[in-house]
Amino acid sequence: MTCWHICRHSDKGARVLVLVLSFGVTALAQSLDPSALLKPARDSWPTYHGDYTGQRHTRLTQITPDNVHQLTLAWAFQTNQPQQIKATPILVDGVIYITTPDNLWALDARSGRQIWRYTYPANDGFHIGHRGVAVYKDFVYLTTPDAHLIALDARDGKVRWNVEIADSRRGFWSTNAPLLVRNPRTLAPSHLLVGVAGDFDNLPGTLKSFDPETGKVQWTFYSTPPPGTPGSESGGATGGQMWMTGTYDPDLNLVFVGTGNPTPVLNGPARPGDNRWTCSIVALDPETGKLVWGFQASPHDTHDWDAAEVPVLVDAPFNGVPRKLLLQASRNGYYFVLDRTTGQNLVTTPFTTVNWAKGVDTEGRPVPNPAKEPARDGRLVAPNEAGGTNYRSPSFDPATGLLVVSAHDAYGIYFFKPEHGSYGWAGANYTVWGKGVLRAIEYQTGKIRWSHDIGEGPGGAGVLTTVTGLAFSGDAAGNALALRTSDGTTLWHSGIGRVGNSPISYELDGRQYVILGGGSGLYAFTLPERP
Amino acid sequence: MGRTAGVIVTILFLASLLHAQGRGQASPASVPPPRSASSQTYPADQIAAGQRIFTAQCGFCHGRDAMGGESGPDLTRAAIVAEDVRGDKLGPMLRAGRADKGMPAFTLSAADLGAIVAFVHDQKTKAESLTGGRRSVDVADLQTGDPEAGRQYFAGACTRCHSPTGDLAGVAKRLQGLALLQRMLYPAPGRDGSKATVTVTLASGATVTGRLAYRDEFTIALTDADGWYRSWPVRQVKFLVNDPLQAHVDQLGKYTDGDMHDVLAYLQTLR
Repeated sequence: MTCWHICRHSDKGARVLVLVLSFGVTALAQSLDPSALLKPARDSWPTYHGDYTGQRHTRLTQITPDNVHQLTLAWAFQTNQPQQIKATPILVDGVIYITTPDNLWALDARSGRQIWRYTYPANDGFHIGHRGVAVYKDFVYLTTPDAHLIALDARDGKVRWNVEIADSRRGFWSTNAPLLVRNPRTLAPSHLLVGVAGDFDNLPGTLKSFDPETGKVQWTFYSTPPPGTPGSESGGATGGQMWMTGTYDPDLNLVFVGTGNPTPVLNGPARPGDNRWTCSIVALDPETGKLVWGFQASPHDTHDWDAAEVPVLVDAPFNGVPRKLLLQASRNGYYFVLDRTTGQNLVTTPFTTVNWAKGVDTEGRPVPNPAKEPARDGRLVAPNEAGGTNYRSPSFDPATGLLVVSAHDAYGIYFFKPEHGSYGWAGANYTVWGKGVLRAIEYQTGKIRWSHDIGEGPGGAGVLTTVTGLAFSGDAAGNALALRTSDGTTLWHSGIGRVGNSPISYELDGRQYVILGGGSGLYAFTLPERP
Repeated sequence: MGRTAGVIVTILFLASLLHAQGRGQASPASVPPPRSASSQTYPADQIAAGQRIFTAQCGFCHGRDAMGGESGPDLTRAAIVAEDVRGDKLGPMLRAGRADKGMPAFTLSAADLGAIVAFVHDQKTKAESLTGGRRSVDVADLQTGDPEAGRQYFAGACTRCHSPTGDLAGVAKRLQGLALLQRMLYPAPGRDGSKATVTVTLASGATVTGRLAYRDEFTIALTDADGWYRSWPVRQVKFLVNDPLQAHVDQLGKYTDGDMHDVLAYLQTLR
């Protein structure tokens, strides 16, 4: 174990500065230096995806295909909330931060015991879910249903400041787990990137960067034209909200974020053209918020298929040449590979049942079939509105080259007529049928290596792969699962209730833990301790 | 309640008696909303309190106006709201949730529950005076198919399980518009449970057949002829599931939109 590990647990609360040899930087003993996100310590899960790549892959080696059947419960924490846990737990300095809308708990990662709890005052924003917190130094950040960003003291949960991200009275809300970014070469001031949601109203797609110390806005990126500007580029579309957490390449100093669907949602004629930059992957300069490149996964979307899903960053050979790749399994049912330096498309191929595109254009974008746009008499479309996947995180396993995705084969019927208007949803859609499937995608080709049924309806669980060859996730019946990554065989399960978040793993006191949310509880599994 | 309001309530109540048919079915957005079992008025402050809670807790799925959102149905057209009297149906449902529909159980105080009920009924009253509705699908919208082409398609694809003079005789009297289209595409298992059956072969060689009650990777369960729930570890038995709905799933990948509208047009002739 490095000095890092020893020092971080030797001076609880003492705020002693220590030299962390393994990283060559100076850090506070009880806080998170932004540089720790470049190579997260074994005893941490310091940001939504675990690190900047979005691979959600752990290099911890204790839990293996041979011993996973012995996994046992170390502790459970019950939120006693009606909402399912959808958040990724964030672990820094032995403390886990877990959220539901309006609620944040700090837990002892050794026992699951509550250290403190913060409850945000009652408000009428949408309480649909919450993805988790971000941590910077001794600050913890919570977004709220009424689109505020709250900074709390990590010691005790006291509010330091509270700023508005966007105006909830106009229809914005936030479930976002912010992304903390600092350029490792220039050590320029850090940026806390915070997104909002809001497609029940015609609102500009808004992503803001805040100074994590003060809560001051550093920049705003609009994926669709901001208020008061001509909408020519977007064809009159609004929307494109960036409600999921992006990823970051420190070498390129680029942030990658998926953007949401256009509004009005189902009314295509009101917004002709491609509707840039909705349903897109955008690469932004984190210092300025300026667009460097964009790739549109769904030009002129009329089915609510945002491209907010995790843009996974992989450095790996492509056709024999090492490349900086970006992989996305998108809600529209297509798998994309891009060169993330330029945004050039390398692969476009479906990973679920799709029937809405006529083909793929020269830029690698699926071409929507106008006959599958919502219509007065209804159109039978695959996937349905919930999509081929959704917010639940995929995981990339470098050893097998597989992107394991919680996929969804589904059909819906879509309606639009002029009487539905051009505001907000502006149409009607209904799910017909759907089935959840964990699917392993070969990263260079998009070929499906294996599929593993998880039951009717879309799954809720994301995926965590391990360097030892396991993939943790959950099924629709309420079982946490561990599969063999190479072939999808089930090796372990536990009926903890429906897993609604994406699992994490860390090592503490020499033991590896895997944490999953089951229903409204959080469950920590580990190998049995020797007596 | 003032005298004028009392008169209005009486009129609405009489109207509700005249429009009480069609209750107990799925919420057909293509027909006028079912009328309330009994007209209910609520204090403005209770409705306003209910609106705040509803927006926060229910609005994403059911819409801020309760007329349908990202995944949940339009409650102003839902049978359970029409049947509800001051929370007698909605209260138990909200507290239990409907896991099969993806709806969580809610922990609500009596005051909060009462406020939500007040808001939903008030929205329903408002919706009844609206024409169209922004998410409406009307019966007239669905008349683009060719019944004769639909009859031929039906003869080729559907008659293994269905008969126009048997199970589907008079189907167009029971279901119209969107409700009929949804049932045609996939008649989802309802509150009466799965339509699938399963035969389980035990290690002894004995077999047990019943209605499929539960199935995951690890457990298979059925309800036997006497009504008892019985389950087994999947590893220790053999089993064969017969799910008649699988034919509907397979058909989804075969229909063109034209086929779909033709078959609907044909079913609409089965009165």
